[in-house]
Amino acid sequence: MIDVQQLVKRYGDVTAVKGISFTAESGQVTGFLGPNGAGKTTTMRILTGYTPPSAGRAIVAGFDVFENSMAVRQRVGYLPENVPLYRDMSVQDYLMYVGEIRGLAHRRARATAVLKRVSLEQRSHSLIRTLSKGMKQRVGLAAALIHDPEVLILDEPTIGLDPLQVLELRDLVKELGQHHTVLFSTHILSEAEQVCDKVVIINRGTIMAQGAPTALRGELERGGRVLVRVLGDHDKLLTIVRAVPGVLDAELAVDGVIATPDNPDQDPRPALAKAIVEAELSLIELRPLAVNLEEIFLEITRNEASLSQPMSEMDTPITVEGVS
Amino acid sequence: MRALWAVYKRETSLFFRSTVAYAISCALILFLGILFSSMVANANLNNQSPYAQQLIPGDQVITYSLGTLTFLMFVIAPLLTMRLLSEEAREGTIEVLLTLPMSEASFVVGKFFAAWTFYTFVLLLTLIHVLLLLAIGTRPDAGLVFAMYLGAWLYGGAVLSITMIWSAVTEDQIVAAFLGAASILVLYLADQVAGLVQSQPSLAPVADFVRELSLNAHYENVLLRTGVIRAADVAYFILLMIACLFITTIIVGTRRWRAN
Repeated sequence: MIDVQQLVKRYGDVTAVKGISFTAESGQVTGFLGPNGAGKTTTMRILTGYTPPSAGRAIVAGFDVFENSMAVRQRVGYLPENVPLYRDMSVQDYLMYVGEIRGLAHRRARATAVLKRVSLEQRSHSLIRTLSKGMKQRVGLAAALIHDPEVLILDEPTIGLDPLQVLELRDLVKELGQHHTVLFSTHILSEAEQVCDKVVIINRGTIMAQGAPTALRGELERGGRVLVRVLGDHDKLLTIVRAVPGVLDAELAVDGVIATPDNPDQDPRPALAKAIVEAELSLIELRPLAVNLEEIFLEITRNEASLSQPMSEMDTPITVEGVS
Repeated sequence: MRALWAVYKRETSLFFRSTVAYAISCALILFLGILFSSMVANANLNNQSPYAQQLIPGDQVITYSLGTLTFLMFVIAPLLTMRLLSEEAREGTIEVLLTLPMSEASFVVGKFFAAWTFYTFVLLLTLIHVLLLLAIGTRPDAGLVFAMYLGAWLYGGAVLSITMIWSAVTEDQIVAAFLGAASILVLYLADQVAGLVQSQPSLAPVADFVRELSLNAHYENVLLRTGVIRAADVAYFILLMIACLFITTIIVGTRRWRAN
């Protein structure tokens, strides 16, 4: 289990992580989601004991990452983003080396078992430099798994893999999530939606939203905005939509009209559909906005970008916190 | 300890598998061998006595060849150690190592011992000169030979530890090698500087201090020429190694506070 409270990381004048708090439960995959440079890697480096936090606390597997770094490092398996490996070692030797530093008994058996887990047992005697990118990724994952860690931290593990390998890796991560605490970072939103039990969205060092992907989606949908598209004239549609009871406001979007209801819990779609059909327009689409994480994510980051311009960066509380 | 041993085993096996290390030691042994045989041949030529082999100055030959080896260490030590830490930083493998349950010290010391082991191997190869001298009937003084080898061994460890610092400082192996060679030369020549400074009577204490820092004052002038093993000299080399490895460990540790 991972418990992060008000974590801050400063590098000189740059604050990479600005007081984030979240938890990752055991037996779950927690997705750590954000654009490049959002602070994902920095946070993960703090959680693995690579770099100390500037302020705040992080408890990993029951130990403070700063005060009990060794205890944390014994219980964490970490796959860094660019998968650094010793190119001049064979796969088996590398796993044995990591196992020996970790002081594992029965290293050979463990190495064989994890290689089987990542389906790389045929290549156990190959030199690492002769392996493909996807295989190297799996060697890195095997090394992170060799001591059967309580907590597994994977920094963008699917980057640079071919589509089939991505699917395999996602399945593996999902499977691992049943017995370990898995924190998994990605900037691909659909991936987080498929793999994770919980998603933490981070941007520019602050958490924008967190919760189960479905809850997060529900939360944003309950904001209630609906996109309406018809064949033909959208200006006419705009006036019709504005006149529908229960619709607070409507605006013209690129490919339709977005309607905002007065009451977020009340779905305006039945009333809208009725009004449009009565006006004899050809309705082609009527759906809630922010149906996937992609849209939630774009929504959140776009809002933040437009609002943060006049304000200083630190005080933009555009969070959808409290969803959990 | 366990982690130190793991690192030591890996690095030692890398040394004994690397072509560069063998190329360096071959060149060295070849060079010292030519030097050795020309010294012996010259001594033979200059002697008209029927007991010529007894007049070959065995001690001097060993002194000279070990002195050359240790002098050349200003090139060899940086070449042996430049890769050790800079490569880990450049390849990013240090990020994995620093998140394993292992102290920076075991990581640094394990690598250092591996380099020292390889150096010991090269040093032991030069024992063939002693065996050859014995074979042609010259008997070098056993105590002197032991002192010289002990000195050369400690000297090698000390210069390897100095060059380790630079390997931790920079990710560029060439830069690490150059800075390593420069720092060894500075310490090597420190007693010359002390000699210059000494001419000024008011600076005599400074001269003494600089001389005590120099590698030569503790090695060439004592162990290599007289064969006297002084506790102060042995302590100098051991403390130098500890200090350098400590600094290296600190530098590796500062990586945790850097942005990359």
